Amino acid sequence: MLEQLLIFTRGGLILWTCKEIGNALKGSPIDTLIRSCLLEERSGDVSFNYDAHGAAYTLKWTFHNDLGLVFVAVYQRILHLLYVDDLLSLVKQSFAEIYDPKRMAYDDFDETFRQLRKEAESRAEELRKTKQVGKPLGNVKKQGQVSKSGLEGGNKRISESGGSKKDDGDGNKAKVGNLTNGHSNGNHQMEDDSQTSDLANGKENTTDNVALDLSKLQKLRSKGVRGRGGIRKADSIGNKGSKVTAAEPAKKATKKNRVWDDAAPKQEKLDFTDSVDENGNNDHVDIVAADQGESMMDKEEVFSSDSESEDDDEPGSDEKPEAKKKGWFSSVFQSITGKANLERTDLEPALKALKERLMTKNVAEEIAGKLCESVEASLEGKKLASFTRISSTVQGAMEDALVRILTPRRSIDILRDVHAAKEQRRPYVVVFVGVNGVGKSTNLAKVAYWLLQHNVSVMMAACDTFRSGAVEQLRTHARRLQIPIFEKGYEKDPAVVAKEAIQEATRNGSDVVLVDTAGRMQDNEPLMRALSKLINLNNPDLVLFVGEALVGNDAVDQLSKFNQKLSDLSPTGNRSLIDGILLTKFDTIDDKVGAALSMVYISGAPVMFVGCGQSYTDLKKLNVKSIVKTLLK
Amino acid sequence: MENFEDLKILVEQWSHQGIEYLQKIPPTQLYAAIGVLLFTTLLLLSIRLVRRTKSNTVLLSGLTGSGKTVLFYQLRDGSSHQGTVTSMEPNEGTFVFHTENTKKGKIKPVHLVDVPGHSRLRPKLEEFLPQAAAIVFVVDALEFLPNCRAASEYLYDILTNGNVVKKKTPVLLCCNKTDKLTAHTKEFIRKQMEKEIEKLRASRSAVSTADIANDFTIGIEGEVFSFSHCRNKITVAEASGLTGETEQIQDFIREYIKP
Repeated sequence: MLEQLLIFTRGGLILWTCKEIGNALKGSPIDTLIRSCLLEERSGDVSFNYDAHGAAYTLKWTFHNDLGLVFVAVYQRILHLLYVDDLLSLVKQSFAEIYDPKRMAYDDFDETFRQLRKEAESRAEELRKTKQVGKPLGNVKKQGQVSKSGLEGGNKRISESGGSKKDDGDGNKAKVGNLTNGHSNGNHQMEDDSQTSDLANGKENTTDNVALDLSKLQKLRSKGVRGRGGIRKADSIGNKGSKVTAAEPAKKATKKNRVWDDAAPKQEKLDFTDSVDENGNNDHVDIVAADQGESMMDKEEVFSSDSESEDDDEPGSDEKPEAKKKGWFSSVFQSITGKANLERTDLEPALKALKERLMTKNVAEEIAGKLCESVEASLEGKKLASFTRISSTVQGAMEDALVRILTPRRSIDILRDVHAAKEQRRPYVVVFVGVNGVGKSTNLAKVAYWLLQHNVSVMMAACDTFRSGAVEQLRTHARRLQIPIFEKGYEKDPAVVAKEAIQEATRNGSDVVLVDTAGRMQDNEPLMRALSKLINLNNPDLVLFVGEALVGNDAVDQLSKFNQKLSDLSPTGNRSLIDGILLTKFDTIDDKVGAALSMVYISGAPVMFVGCGQSYTDLKKLNVKSIVKTLLK
Repeated sequence: MENFEDLKILVEQWSHQGIEYLQKIPPTQLYAAIGVLLFTTLLLLSIRLVRRTKSNTVLLSGLTGSGKTVLFYQLRDGSSHQGTVTSMEPNEGTFVFHTENTKKGKIKPVHLVDVPGHSRLRPKLEEFLPQAAAIVFVVDALEFLPNCRAASEYLYDILTNGNVVKKKTPVLLCCNKTDKLTAHTKEFIRKQMEKEIEKLRASRSAVSTADIANDFTIGIEGEVFSFSHCRNKITVAEASGLTGETEQIQDFIREYIKP
């Protein structure tokens, strides 16, 4: 049963609630919906789940963009009510007729609502009955072709996932599962498609299919995944078993070296650290980093303000002849007088062009799609103002949406947080996490330099105990910047090293502790577990995800998996997720700045720093307006 | 040189033609045309001058959940109807206060704007600041301490905004939800905000002089910050949106927008 149905304006005033259903909602699902979904530009999603205060609700919504109204339906998650979407659209239509901006109370709507609900429920009942009648017929047809459809289902899976870059890891596993278990599996999932495919393909040799599948599988496995850690992934699935067993006996003895390939593990110790005495003085010549000038964090961003009037002549090339349903004259006429209402079909060509433009700027495909859906949801049904074209309205809405996403949700004033921690007499702990090779150690040094310029005492903690040379690298940086560094060499447990580093910092009064960790792939279970152990043991103030601006669609995967692992493996009630993003290698991309957008959208964390070079001063803040301008150029 | 001569001759010919044409038009039409032109320019100038007189815009700002939309509807209609949710867009209205409806005579209406407090919608406030004649900053007196830092940062951003400093816009620090038992007093809130802003002042000015975050700094160097140091007048008041106790807000607004 429906828990509640609300109608409210975009300005926040509730116009009508259903009074028949008396139960008050537990918690505040509507406010959470607005804050974490609608304002985060996810209004294109189908539904929103709310879990808190002992209630599990699902919320569905629809907009009436012309009048600025929002219709939200709340119901218990365990019930799968089918008539909600239908009901929402009916309610929208009938309420729009009686809506008057001056009126605040709509008690007469109760009666109308009751009728609409009955109508929607009955319609859903009818639909369900027809579905049940249809199903047994379908099953009888399939009896004769059980085995074939299973294999063809497997075949289709391979061809589908061969094309997509993203879910290759999942695709691999699914393929293996399909071929080994899945005749019945394939049957279920491919019910709809295989009906048409059976007729289309006709009789095929089943043996041929099997051979084809296996060879395709092997080809894909060897091709590996585009993006980071290609071959590693395919092999790691196989080697995971061996790795887990290798980790077990290691607890008693010292940790065995990690084995990536199938090569025989070398037995010699690979620790080439020089013997160093107490002060860390080495024989090598140390160049103290002379003051290299102001960090770019503090410089004003000077960018040429190009003419604000977006090249209005250019979009003409976007609206290619494909979508020209109406003649040129009538479209010009309509743009002058203003059209009645924007329909989905009108918005589609403009949104498609916009999505492609975003994707050429290196925004992940999934994110661009979701954004376009959200903009579509907010523009549908709106009246076009006169003297505006559809493309410019869409562009304006998209610009608003982008500014909204990139504006940080909470203040990113790190210095203020450092001062607050200083008052509580504890160091401010920052942990740098990320995949391999994104620039954690380099940017850690840059952040240390910036903090030093603002009279904050910094200490580094070398918790990357895996990569050869990582500790030396940090030691060199520390010597150049003349700040203390806490290190315990290699082959030690990073979580323990971090804990001791923080204790040391409290003792010698450092304001900030910057913790460097080893790079790790988001799919690597034991490494992610080690990372979450480090974070849970030490409770850092800021978990900074370091991501490079060159990453494409993989950004979505990286961030969502990191967040998921951190929240899954943390003790309940203490979920610390990624608090901020550090975007690196920003100078290598000219105007393909989309990675920033993908990362912020998928994680909700603000971009705190941008690394734009390889020297100490190359660290700056994210300029939201210039990024939005570059994205939409 | 010849081309130059030719050009000169052409120009002279055109000017002759033009003068002849003008002389052909009957004088009344000419005078009428000139008269209309003068009239429209005078009209536009006068409108521009009239507009320079004080705007009657008052902004309702504050953190999300502090009760701005409730106050908006209380001032306008005398009741908050069926409740509110987090605003996604500003609420604007030009009206006379609900309590003033009974008064006779022509009272100047107030253009009240309720700006959403959610941090993602912060840029909207900057659109309205230039036209504001007065600002009401609403603070939740019930849940004050957890939000103290965020509220003071928001207030600090408003007080250091270029438009506010130049026009010396008066600010009312309104403590809302005072009908509840556990709500803090306005004195406590004022002192806490002053302390927090003092800390902000220290940390923000420690960041070098090229900090683009704030246009100005407030307060007097070397002294602990107090609201009396600001050039624009800052007062504190109490209110309760749910029960309709909005007397002090109305008095404040009417002080600057004469009825």
